[in-house]
Amino acid sequence: MTSIKGFFREIAIAGLVLAPLVGSAAAADKPLEGVTLTLASQNDQFAAVLAALAPKFKEQTGATLKVDILDYGSLLTKTTADFVGHTGGYDLITMDIVWSGQYAQNDYSVDLVDWIKRDASELQLDDIYPTLLNALGHYGDKQVAFPFAGYANVLAYRKDLFDAAGLSPPKTMEELTADAYKLTDPAKHQYGFVANGQKGPAVAQDWMQYNTEMGGSILGPDGKPALNSEANVKSLTVYRDLFQKAAPPGAVNYDWGGREESFRQGLVAQMQTWSVGAPGYYDPASSKIVDKVAIAPAPRGAGLPQLYGLGGWGLAINADIKDKQKQAAWAFIKWLDSPPEHKEFNLMGAGSFLRKSEMTDADLLAKFPFLPVIAVTFEHGDGEYRPRIPQYPQIQDILGTAVNSVLVGNTDPKAALDAAQLEAVKLF
Amino acid sequence: MELNPDLRDHTATLSPRVALKRPVLAARSYADRRRLFLISMALPGLAYVVAVGVWPLTKGIWFSLYDYNLLKPAQTHFVGLRNYADVLDDSVARQAFSNTVVFTVSAVAVELVLGFAIALALWRDDRFNRVCLALILIPVTITPLVVGLIFRALLMPDYGLVGYYLAESGFSGPHGLFAYGSSALATLIFVDIWEWTPLVALILLAGLKALPSDIIEAARADGATGVQRLRMVIIPLMAPTIVLAVMLRTIDAFRIFDSIFVTTGGGPGNATNSLMLHAVKQGLEFFNIGLASAIANVTLLCIAVMATAFVILFRQADRRAHGS
Repeated sequence: MTSIKGFFREIAIAGLVLAPLVGSAAAADKPLEGVTLTLASQNDQFAAVLAALAPKFKEQTGATLKVDILDYGSLLTKTTADFVGHTGGYDLITMDIVWSGQYAQNDYSVDLVDWIKRDASELQLDDIYPTLLNALGHYGDKQVAFPFAGYANVLAYRKDLFDAAGLSPPKTMEELTADAYKLTDPAKHQYGFVANGQKGPAVAQDWMQYNTEMGGSILGPDGKPALNSEANVKSLTVYRDLFQKAAPPGAVNYDWGGREESFRQGLVAQMQTWSVGAPGYYDPASSKIVDKVAIAPAPRGAGLPQLYGLGGWGLAINADIKDKQKQAAWAFIKWLDSPPEHKEFNLMGAGSFLRKSEMTDADLLAKFPFLPVIAVTFEHGDGEYRPRIPQYPQIQDILGTAVNSVLVGNTDPKAALDAAQLEAVKLF
Repeated sequence: MELNPDLRDHTATLSPRVALKRPVLAARSYADRRRLFLISMALPGLAYVVAVGVWPLTKGIWFSLYDYNLLKPAQTHFVGLRNYADVLDDSVARQAFSNTVVFTVSAVAVELVLGFAIALALWRDDRFNRVCLALILIPVTITPLVVGLIFRALLMPDYGLVGYYLAESGFSGPHGLFAYGSSALATLIFVDIWEWTPLVALILLAGLKALPSDIIEAARADGATGVQRLRMVIIPLMAPTIVLAVMLRTIDAFRIFDSIFVTTGGGPGNATNSLMLHAVKQGLEFFNIGLASAIANVTLLCIAVMATAFVILFRQADRRAHGS
């Protein structure tokens, strides 16, 4: 009995002595134990994957990640209210490329310049496309967010229709326009072109993309609005004609969802789109064009430099949260963007590429054969075709009304852009 | 002063001098206690009204007098009535106002006529009518945002279940009903009528069922035809209920936002832009709180004027209906 008692006493003593050591070992294994991070995420493809990765992040670091998935408008409204009220409700925020100016101007987020310098080797910066590093968070001399989801503007087209017509995918905007007319046959409900036409951000963003590819620009060399420049009027005229003669009749009221659906349903021969939607064309559950679709680099106007539209999201750290939370948030960004995790992130369907190594990764290439097109786009990316300035939301709204009015035939391109210009200059 | 009977009993046993003073004190004390009790009962409700009504309204008026943008909080400054002048000067706001008025008047007028017709048809209380009433109330139970999404999908000219055939037959034009200014607003009015006519019918049906049957029977016995009974007996008696239904729908329709937001976004151009949509855009998209507050206050003022007019009409109609 005595020996059994003694045995238990020794076990108890050993337990008391070892417990703190075990605890400290666990704390070293999971340095963020007890920390909870709240992430406000845009409801894009990556949002569900972020939520799905949260348990793995907790397992490795001890930190809990809560993902609040919001639509674009709610994300902007809720996070701005959080910043302005200094409530620190969100630790991490997915920041759209065009919000950089507002973030930098108002110091909403932590400036990551020094942290990036300090952790450069850990981040493997050489493996990240400089165009994404710049566009998705760099503004002036600040880095207001760190990229995690790069989107490439690409041309999605129907191989079968192009082959049948003896055409190859267009390399210039002039070819795209000509092909659009050739491939339009309303009697067969087949259209050669589609883009967003709905009033508001939808039509404004798509036209800005085409406008840049046709040699136009929203801002002049002085950084002030130049909405009614000759090049812009010309590009809007071409755009209007495409809508009237080569687009599905309902396109004037399409947003992104309507545009993508028209392509997946086989109504349209070609469209420019964000690479994030491309995996959906190969999904038989939602697409009628699984074996007929191909992806190519977006065309540019003849003689214009090789530049492709970039979009996407960075992760910003709220400037109002405590230092411990900031460090944990930075740890999450580094973890998510690390080569193995970011690869898994994409294998899980995030459609959000970032690293050069991902473009040649065998597993990713097997699943996403269009990665070489994204690589070319990222290499020559242009994140400025939608001006990343604080006045962007108002300019987008002005253009959203003006371009839509032209597409539905309420006014002509020159008159619409003249009126838009008058509104836009008031913002500066 | 009339003394409370309970207190009178108590004062009877007191000395004359005390008895002279106590009743007054006791009576005052009772009145005070009663007042205190009533105030304490009303206080939670009052606090609620102040918290969710008066305080935000006051802040809204206050904000509307400032150039206040959440993105530039440091540059906030007092501008007096300039935001209101900007609203009046702004062609987009003016068109939003006229769209809102056209939408409200058209939708409510049609809803009233159709609702009254449905209420008359369902007046008789039998099982068939009760089932019909339950079925026609289904649209009212759907949130307006979802109604907008449903109609948007239905009316797509490319693959919408209805829109495709409307475009094919040439009824809607090739780009669909939402693509043209006049048809877009008319379609939104139709959507509102589809959703809210049953509610008007329900209110009017409740009014019809509360009518004194002896008066209608007396009119019938006097040889009044159906149209005469409707024009000279039923409608005058129903006037307070009609005013109530019109008031509720007018106030609601004037704040139209959801269905426009998801179907046209205010387009094409600004053809379907409404005051609320304009205010939300200024406030929640551009964070221009001063201007958004001014637009919201103008809307509130319009609604307050309409509500006051309806209340006056309601009282007059009620007096005429009840002959007092």
